[in-house]
Amino acid sequence: MKYGKLILKNILRNKRRTLLTISSLVVSLFLIITLATILTEFSRGSESSNPLRLVTRHAVSLGFTLPVAQQQRIATVPGVKAVIPFSWFGGIYKDEKNFFANFAVDAAKFREVMPEIKMSEDQWQAFINDRQGAIVGQKLVKLYGFQPGQRVTLRSPIYDRSVEFIIRGVYTGGDEKTLFFHHDYINELVPAWARDQVSTFSILANSAADVPRIAQTVDSMFINTDAPTKTETERDFAISFETMMGGVKQFMYGIIAAITFSLLLIMANTMAMSVRERTKEVGLLKALGFQRGTIAGLFVGESLLVTTIGALIGIGGAMLIFKSIDLGLYIPNFQSFVPSAQTLLISFLISIGVGLLSVVYSAYRVSGMTIAEALRSTE
Amino acid sequence: MALPLKYNFRNITVRKSSTLATAFTIGLTVGVFLMVMALARGIDLTLTSSGEPLNVIVLREGSNAELNSSVTREQLNDLIYLDGIEREGDKPLAAAELMTLIYKPRKGMSQGSNVTIRGIGPMSNKLRSGYKTVAGRMFQPGMTEAIVSRRIAERFQGLDIGDKFRIQTIDYTVVGLFDAGGKAFESEIWVDVNSLGSTTKRDNFSTVLLRAKDQTALASLSKRITDDQRLHLKAMPERTFYEDQQGAASGFLKGVAVFISFIMAVGAGFAGMNTMYAAVARRTKEIGTLRVLGFKRRSILAAFILESVAIAVIGAGIGIVLALPLNFVSTGTANFQNFSEIAFNFRVTPDLMLSALIFGVAIGFVGSLLPSLRAARFKIVDALRAS
Repeated sequence: MKYGKLILKNILRNKRRTLLTISSLVVSLFLIITLATILTEFSRGSESSNPLRLVTRHAVSLGFTLPVAQQQRIATVPGVKAVIPFSWFGGIYKDEKNFFANFAVDAAKFREVMPEIKMSEDQWQAFINDRQGAIVGQKLVKLYGFQPGQRVTLRSPIYDRSVEFIIRGVYTGGDEKTLFFHHDYINELVPAWARDQVSTFSILANSAADVPRIAQTVDSMFINTDAPTKTETERDFAISFETMMGGVKQFMYGIIAAITFSLLLIMANTMAMSVRERTKEVGLLKALGFQRGTIAGLFVGESLLVTTIGALIGIGGAMLIFKSIDLGLYIPNFQSFVPSAQTLLISFLISIGVGLLSVVYSAYRVSGMTIAEALRSTE
Repeated sequence: MALPLKYNFRNITVRKSSTLATAFTIGLTVGVFLMVMALARGIDLTLTSSGEPLNVIVLREGSNAELNSSVTREQLNDLIYLDGIEREGDKPLAAAELMTLIYKPRKGMSQGSNVTIRGIGPMSNKLRSGYKTVAGRMFQPGMTEAIVSRRIAERFQGLDIGDKFRIQTIDYTVVGLFDAGGKAFESEIWVDVNSLGSTTKRDNFSTVLLRAKDQTALASLSKRITDDQRLHLKAMPERTFYEDQQGAASGFLKGVAVFISFIMAVGAGFAGMNTMYAAVARRTKEIGTLRVLGFKRRSILAAFILESVAIAVIGAGIGIVLALPLNFVSTGTANFQNFSEIAFNFRVTPDLMLSALIFGVAIGFVGSLLPSLRAARFKIVDALRAS
C-alpha cells in the first residue's frame, strides 16, 4: 500500500468533515443493525424450529379447541414417537404488563418431545412428581426472580380462573421466557366448556420422512368430526404466526433501504466536496505523470477508508451496547437482542457498497479531466 | 440590517448537487417519520371511530377481549329489560353477538392470519352506523351464509362472493361484500348469530351490545351492569372499549417512529453540518466583504441559519411528497386483543405533515448552529485574506 499514507493524509486534511461523516455512518449503521436484529427476532420461531416436530391445531383456527382424547389416537399413527398436549393458558402474572407465554403440557413426555429443554435430573423428577408443579425458563428467573419452591399464581382471562403453581425447576434452551405446567392439574380447575380440551398438540416424529405422512394421517383421521384438525410442521406453524404481522416486515425492510440510501447521499456529498476541493491537485498529479486509474483509486481508497472506519465503530458499538444490555429480556416474545453474524456481515457489506458507489461518479469525472482543465479549476 | 433573502436563495442554487443531497437526507428522515406515524394514525382513527357514542358493550367479568368473553342467555334476558335502553317499537335496541376466528392464508401466500367471524343479530346493524353492502346481498337469517368486509376479501384467499369456507363440518357461502366506513368491523366476516351458535355448538354469546337512551343512561347502564354482583359481567361505553385497544399497537409504533427518526435525524444533522461548513469555508472572503459593507455579525449568523433552514424546508417537502402516496393505502396487522387481523389505512393527515415539517426545520436549524456561529465569528481581516 504505497499510497496508503497519502490516503490517510487526505482524510485527515479536513478532520471535522471526516469526523462528522464517520459519525453519520456510525449512527446510521447502528440503526440498521437494530432494525435487522428486530427482523431476525421476528422470524426466530421458524428459524429455530425442530424439523421433526409437528403441531396440530383445530382446522378452523386457534379460536377452537381440540378434545384431549385425540392424543391417544394421534399416538397410534405410524411414525409418531410421542405426542403431548401443548395448550395455551394465557395466564397473567400479577399485571398484564408482565407478559410471558404459559402452556399446559404432559409433564412425563414433555422432555421427549422437547429435547432442547435442559434441566437437572432432580428438577425433572420434582416437576413430574408434583401435579401442581411448574418449570420456568432461565430468562423468566432473570425478569421476575422465580425460584424453585416459590408459589406463583397466574390469572387466565380465557378460562376465567386464577391458578396457583409451585415452581419445581428452571430450564435452559428453547424459549426461555415460558412457564410449563401439568395439563392434568388445570384440567380439573377450568370451567366445564374447557374441560378435556387443548389448544394444540405437539408431535415428535421418528424421522424426517415420517413428517408429511403424519400430518396427512392425523388430519384425515378427524376430518369428519366436530374437531377437524390442521397438522403442520413446527416451522409452518411458527410462520403462520409470523405472517399475522402482515406488512410490518416489508415496511421495516423499506426503512432499512431508506437509511441506506440516505447514507449513500451523505457519503456522496462528502466525497463530492473532497474531490471538488482537490481538483487543482489532480491536475498537478497528472502533470507529474500519475495515471487516471491511480488518481481515481486514491479517491476510492479514501471513501472506502472512511466507510470502513465508520462501519467498524458502528458495528463494534452496536455489539458492545446490545451485549451489555440484553434488550431481548424486556421485549415480549423476544429471546435475545444480540445482532446475528449475518446482520453484522450485511451491515459491513452495506458500508463497503456505500463507500464504493458514493465516489464512483466524482472520481470518474475528476480523473478524466485534462491537466489544463484541472489546473484551471477555481475551487 | 438583515441580508436580503435573495442572497440566501441564490447561494442555495450555486451548489445544486450538495443542496439536493442534504435536502434528500433530511427528506428521507422526515419521510420515514411520517410513514410510521401515518401507520399509527391509521390504527388510531380506525379504533376511535369504531365505537358508537351511545353504545354500551357488555363482556364477561375478567375477560379482556371479545374473544374471551361469554354471556349466557339468562344474563342476556336480565340485560335487555334494564332501564335506559333505547327501544324500537317495543323491542330493545340490543344485540347478542358471537365471535370466533378463522385462519385464512393471505393472497399470494401460503400462510395468513386469523380473521374475525362475528355472528350478528337482527338489531346489530341498527346499532352500528356506516354499514353498506357494496356487492351481492345480505345473508339470510338462519342460513349458513356470510358477508365479508371488502377489505378482508381483498387481502385474503377464498373470501369472495360465491366462495365457501368451513367451520367445523358446515360450509358457509359468501353472498355479499360490505364496507363499514373505515371502522374496525371492516376487518370482519359476518354471519347469522344463531347459525354460528349451532355450527360451533355454543349456547352462550360472546358479547352484548346495547344502545343507551342518552348520555346519562350510558353511564348509569355501564355502572349498573358492572356493579351487579349477581351478573358477573362488565359493561363500558363502546367508545372506551375501542380506545383502550388502540394504546398497545399505536403507542408502540409512535415509539418506533420517534426512535428511528431521532437517530436518522442525528445522521442527517451531521450531513447538514458538513454542507454548511463547506458553504462557510467557500464564502469566507465574501463574509469578510459583507462585514466591510457594514453587515453585523448577527446578520451573517441569521443568513447562514436561514440558508440551512431553507434547505431543510425543501427536505421536509421531499419527505412529505415521499410519504403522501401512502395516504389511504390499505394494510393490516394482528390485533393483539383478539389475535386477529385488523385492516386499516395509512393516514397522512395535515397535522402529521405539519409535525414532519417542524421536525425537518429543527434538523436544519440545529445542524446550522455551529457552522453559522463560525461564520459570524470571523475577523474581517482574516476573512478577507482567506484564499
